Amino acid sequence: MLPSLSSSAAACLLTFASAQAAVDVSPATAPRMEFTPLPPGTYRLQAIQSVEDATLLDERGRAVRLSALTRGKITLLTFFYTYCVDPLGCPFAHQTLTMLRDRILRDRELARDVRFVGISCDPSTDTPEVLARYAMDFTTNSRFEWRFITARSVSALLPVLDDFGQDISVEVDASGRPTRALHHMLKVFLIDPRGRVREIYSLAYIQPAVMLNDISTLHLEPHTRPADARTAARRSQ
Amino acid sequence: MRKSSQCAVVLAGLYACFGAALPNAFADETCNSPYISNLIKGQEDFVHVWTLGVEGLGDGSDKLVTIDANPGSKTYGKVVHRTSVGGRGEAHHMGFTDDRKFLWAGGLDDSKIYVFDVGTNPSKPKLTRTIADLPAKTKFVGPHDFYALPGRMLIGNLSNTSDKSGVTGMALYNNKGSLIARYDMPTTSIGGVKGDGYGYGIAINPAKNVLLTSSFSGWQNYMRELGDLIKDPEAMKHFGNTVVVWNLKSMQPTQILSVPGAPLEIRWSLAPGQNWAITAAALTSKLWLIKQGEDGAWAATEVGTIGNPAQIPLPVDISITADGKGLWVNTFMDGTTHYFDITDPEHPRESYQKHTGSQVNMISQSWDGKRLYITSSLLAHWDKKGADNEQFLRAFNWDGHALTPAFEVDFTKDKLGRPHHMKFTAKAGQSRTLAALARQ
Repeated sequence: MLPSLSSSAAACLLTFASAQAAVDVSPATAPRMEFTPLPPGTYRLQAIQSVEDATLLDERGRAVRLSALTRGKITLLTFFYTYCVDPLGCPFAHQTLTMLRDRILRDRELARDVRFVGISCDPSTDTPEVLARYAMDFTTNSRFEWRFITARSVSALLPVLDDFGQDISVEVDASGRPTRALHHMLKVFLIDPRGRVREIYSLAYIQPAVMLNDISTLHLEPHTRPADARTAARRSQ
Repeated sequence: MRKSSQCAVVLAGLYACFGAALPNAFADETCNSPYISNLIKGQEDFVHVWTLGVEGLGDGSDKLVTIDANPGSKTYGKVVHRTSVGGRGEAHHMGFTDDRKFLWAGGLDDSKIYVFDVGTNPSKPKLTRTIADLPAKTKFVGPHDFYALPGRMLIGNLSNTSDKSGVTGMALYNNKGSLIARYDMPTTSIGGVKGDGYGYGIAINPAKNVLLTSSFSGWQNYMRELGDLIKDPEAMKHFGNTVVVWNLKSMQPTQILSVPGAPLEIRWSLAPGQNWAITAAALTSKLWLIKQGEDGAWAATEVGTIGNPAQIPLPVDISITADGKGLWVNTFMDGTTHYFDITDPEHPRESYQKHTGSQVNMISQSWDGKRLYITSSLLAHWDKKGADNEQFLRAFNWDGHALTPAFEVDFTKDKLGRPHHMKFTAKAGQSRTLAALARQ
């Protein structure tokens, strides 16, 4: 059983690897973008993998199938934790996603067909109640679906992390007990309405203009158009 | 297919001078894909060496050899683990997955891809998967470069299943080991330069959305005894002469640059704001700078000479410093390690050299530039013969002025094989994976 990750008294402070550590655990620089991205629809995004289904918890504590949040729309999914303060970690991802959301909202049809999903990688701390408060900063516009999800336990979360190849490590203290310092490689997953991962953005490639064009490229694909996928999903129920 | 009579002349001269060998290489912390997490910017704990098996030596199998590289350890400089794969398939290069948890290692002859878990316990890598479908699914053979993309691995190959020439392509797998796509190297003309279809190295600049590939030679050549190869004038024409510029997003070639003489490793400068890359042409012993012009087009320019090309030193591996101001070059034939000051990449200047072995191939430096590791083997059929066939890993310390020996592992004496590609790992330190904590 994983000890609670929320037991530290220094609730809001994170400690990263010490200066003596061999491994550089935090990215050094923000991504640069010095090119004009290809126009939407002029290139193809490969199908990298399908998303395995799982049962998680939504912001109201209700069980939710992951497939319900990765199918039927174009989805940008990322893993985060609410108390992350790494300037090039979760806050950077959510800042980027906020910019993207605002841009997507300019296109009514696109806004209808795109959702964002954040899955907490610390379910011990990020309970549904905590997520609900955290989500208030991002879910202010009712025309856009932005969901924040957690899990009943770390054990319930691990298969999801494994499926996405999202490795999480936790700093431990001298006694081997976990602290509140989590390390994870920032990745944002672009998933098509059929539940297939079509692009993965790690820090070096979190470039909003490219991400927007990738979303639009998927939106232009006739066989993966969200409306078609929703119809197919209903028929399969 | 581009043919090069120049290559034939050079190779013939090479053999006349030295009696053996040719190019191939790559490694080091600064050459890792920009998508890889957790770069080791301090002291590495282990050096993993992808090693060719030698018949009659130990178990004769290709193996991943793990060497303790931490001076503070009781087993410093010693082999602490070996993971055999149960066969001999011309072990050559390897690359980390984006999360640095797994090493993918390829065989140039059997075209198998071995996936080692180096994240759970880097002191004891474990073979977790063997991918054997590359030839059947892509028609490519000879997996060479393993270059991490987020959640997937881009593999540059050297040859093909039909005629086993140098015409080949790249294969894209997801991290679970399933093929996603294949991409042919260009054989048509782009911008007036005809593609040779050959492959070798891969190097990506995310800020420019640019992928560069270089070109070597096919299975028919790299699996032949060099003594036979150089007597075959037709075969000697088949070496790469191009660097291809790709649009990374679309994976379409946009330019073909003429770089004669088998350009091998490509290294982007890692200095912030720098957008140039450098490569070494093995057969002509030249350094080439690849840089974008004001019109947006990329150009390859010859900027320097390595040793005396007339003596065929054969540059086989390069390693760029983290600040983009220095370049290590190993020349196989004369066993020399060179250091170039590339503060001005248009005018590289050799400032240091040292004879480091009878044959030297791969060269890997630590991120801080203080440590340098060298291995000896090029290819099973191209290594030198007799007493010159030294097989070793040699570690050196670099103080900015001279290399001083740190430790050495004799791969023949220890019955390991022919050491080739190297990669570094570090212990987990004061962190545990979420999965490990959940198991407690």
